[in-house]
Amino acid sequence: MDFDFSQEQYMFQDTIRELLANALTMEHLRNGATEELWEQLAETGVFALLTGEADGGLGLGFTDLALVFEEFGRALVPAPVAAAIVAGGVIARFGTPEQRAELLPGHGEGRLRLSPAFAEAGTTIPSAMTATARPAGTGWTVSGSKILVPDAAAADKLLVALRFGDDELGLALIEPTRAGVALREQNVLDLTARYHEVTFDRVALAASDILGGKPDSATVVACFDAAAAVAALQMTGMAARTLDEAVTYVGQRKQFDRLLGSFQAIKHRCADMAVAVDACRSAAYYAAWALDEAAPDERARAVSMAKSWCGDNARFTCNQAIQLHGGIGFTWELGLHLFLRRIKCEEASFGDADWHRERVIDATLRSMELTG
Amino acid sequence: MDFTYSPEDIAFRDELRGWLATNLPQGWGETVFLPEDEDENAMFRLDWERKLYKGGWNGIAWPREYGGRGATLIEQAIFAEEMARAKAPEGLNIIGRNLVATTLLHHGSDAQKARFLPKIISGEEVWCQGFSEPNAGSDLAAVRCQAVRDGNHFVVNGQKIWTSFAQYSQWCILLARTDPSAPKHKGISFLLVDMKTPGITIRPLRQISGECEFNETFFDDVRVPVENLVGELNGGWRIAMTTLAYERGPEDALGRQLVFRQELDQLLATAAKLQRGNQTAIEDSLLRQKLAKSLVAIEIMRLNCLRAFSKSLKGAPRGAEASMNKLYWSHVMQDMFDTAMEVLGPLAPLTAGDARAVDGGRFQLAFLRSKAFTIYSGSSEIQRNIIAERVLGLPK
Repeated sequence: MDFDFSQEQYMFQDTIRELLANALTMEHLRNGATEELWEQLAETGVFALLTGEADGGLGLGFTDLALVFEEFGRALVPAPVAAAIVAGGVIARFGTPEQRAELLPGHGEGRLRLSPAFAEAGTTIPSAMTATARPAGTGWTVSGSKILVPDAAAADKLLVALRFGDDELGLALIEPTRAGVALREQNVLDLTARYHEVTFDRVALAASDILGGKPDSATVVACFDAAAAVAALQMTGMAARTLDEAVTYVGQRKQFDRLLGSFQAIKHRCADMAVAVDACRSAAYYAAWALDEAAPDERARAVSMAKSWCGDNARFTCNQAIQLHGGIGFTWELGLHLFLRRIKCEEASFGDADWHRERVIDATLRSMELTG
Repeated sequence: MDFTYSPEDIAFRDELRGWLATNLPQGWGETVFLPEDEDENAMFRLDWERKLYKGGWNGIAWPREYGGRGATLIEQAIFAEEMARAKAPEGLNIIGRNLVATTLLHHGSDAQKARFLPKIISGEEVWCQGFSEPNAGSDLAAVRCQAVRDGNHFVVNGQKIWTSFAQYSQWCILLARTDPSAPKHKGISFLLVDMKTPGITIRPLRQISGECEFNETFFDDVRVPVENLVGELNGGWRIAMTTLAYERGPEDALGRQLVFRQELDQLLATAAKLQRGNQTAIEDSLLRQKLAKSLVAIEIMRLNCLRAFSKSLKGAPRGAEASMNKLYWSHVMQDMFDTAMEVLGPLAPLTAGDARAVDGGRFQLAFLRSKAFTIYSGSSEIQRNIIAERVLGLPK
């Protein structure tokens, strides 16, 4: 029994934190992310970490990445980076040998971009999605639309969650340049990355374009759970960062001839934020472990606990941090709004808190053999 | 990261589970429960504590030389889990076993350890805690109860309040002012007081739940031998801080977590049966959301404890983080019992004894009791000060 990280995992966290402290200043974030970031991160091995050793990767798991994703949140690494790691991890696990050989080496080097396309205007939940692949000849044609796809224009392959017939879901690998695919850059709260609406108009799909060679709902749910857990981990980092910013500020700012941080009204708010952040860590780390080690039911429960809790509490912590900064907190210049904007996007993605809570209670009641 | 148990841990669990199965009364938790009468309840729990001792299961975290098992933190966690799973009662001598013993192990003289520890672990002597006073609650260092040296004795005069189990206790740990002229933290001493000493009066205090677990305790010229001073004269504040650090630790919280989860499971089962309009309460989406919030928060309480345990296992010092744990769970649990009352809806006002009371009125009692969570062991406001100043480093 050990619910803690190893020395190596903590050292890797330090490496990433140091790299990001130099590579991603507020200036970078406000002006759009740098291309060099992908290369610098690739050198640390983060893109090859989930790839099996047989495919030239490191053969590690989400537990090894948990603190990395937390650092991504802390430094507000643009969303396409973590999204690409999630997509690569799913390909490593479910891809055919040909798919793995085609995509994973370039992904590992940070030059081949992958981007998952899940959300639709009506839902972020796989079972309710409407983008559909219909049989046509020896393959399928895809129609429908996805929103908020992280930098689809820069992606080499989109990993698109689709409905195949009434019951089966699957993930399709589609280049954004394929005939029938249209991109529209969207105006989004998050200012640190581009997002696109991707529309599919009778796009041709071959069996070799489907992850694993044929539709399999388990691949979609696994990708959804991984992305939700990674959102929870990143929100944990954002919550921790906004707490730190607030504590630093109230420890320096004087009003009424006293440091703000010496007032109990301020102290108590910071203490509540610290408790919230600590609990985010417990929930998000456990979800990361569950992605690697738990059976699907427990994995789903762990992920849903983390996504709902971390969403609510990252929002809480960031809101408080802005309030504690007073007027300066509301300025464009300070940049706390970049966290607020990003947290809101993460909250809405891959199942909102209410949906995840419903999944937790539904699973609990079924395990207790209670109806309703 | 690894959530599996070692073969030794599993053997420990099996041994304990076997012992509980043969030593709890037949039908325990199903047809046989704790006595409702408060005195009978206390005596039952005392007998149970003595039985645990005879079986080698009391004070398992204590060092072997004082009768414990030197149990690891993981074994302590397993112990808490198994006790909760079996719905086993908690021994009566909580203060003696968890607080007094720990404090004496850190700060007591050899003679004090030899005199007191064996009778704590055997359940022969029950202890209470004389810390709070009517004007020294959150500001504990403001204690006024006085101890004045007179030959080989201290003469104690003053009043303590919220002394849980004083009516069943043979001994008391007492914070008394021994130097009124010193700054308030530097004039306090830590005494061990025999509750049979003439001059002690105990008056039960009725709590908002209607129960009388705690008391007011009055000391009138109570003579305490000087050998019952723990540590140095006027050095009691530091010792009291040791006591409080153990009162708020993750060992305590993990045991609670399991009991709270059982309460929540019971609430879910009840909500699945209670009719509300044309559906059951559990089918109401608003109630489901609130129940799910409690489920998530209580599961995270367990994860918080396991993280704290894992850090301790690697030798991290016991620090102010315990305050984070306590602040977290106390509010989570209050919220859960608020939700419980909402789930009961129109039946929420009905208490034990009414023919329509749900589940024997257990949720009403728990709801009332839960109001103490954010007050005892240091109020939430005090915990927030500790977190802000000692964890976050904000100025005093």
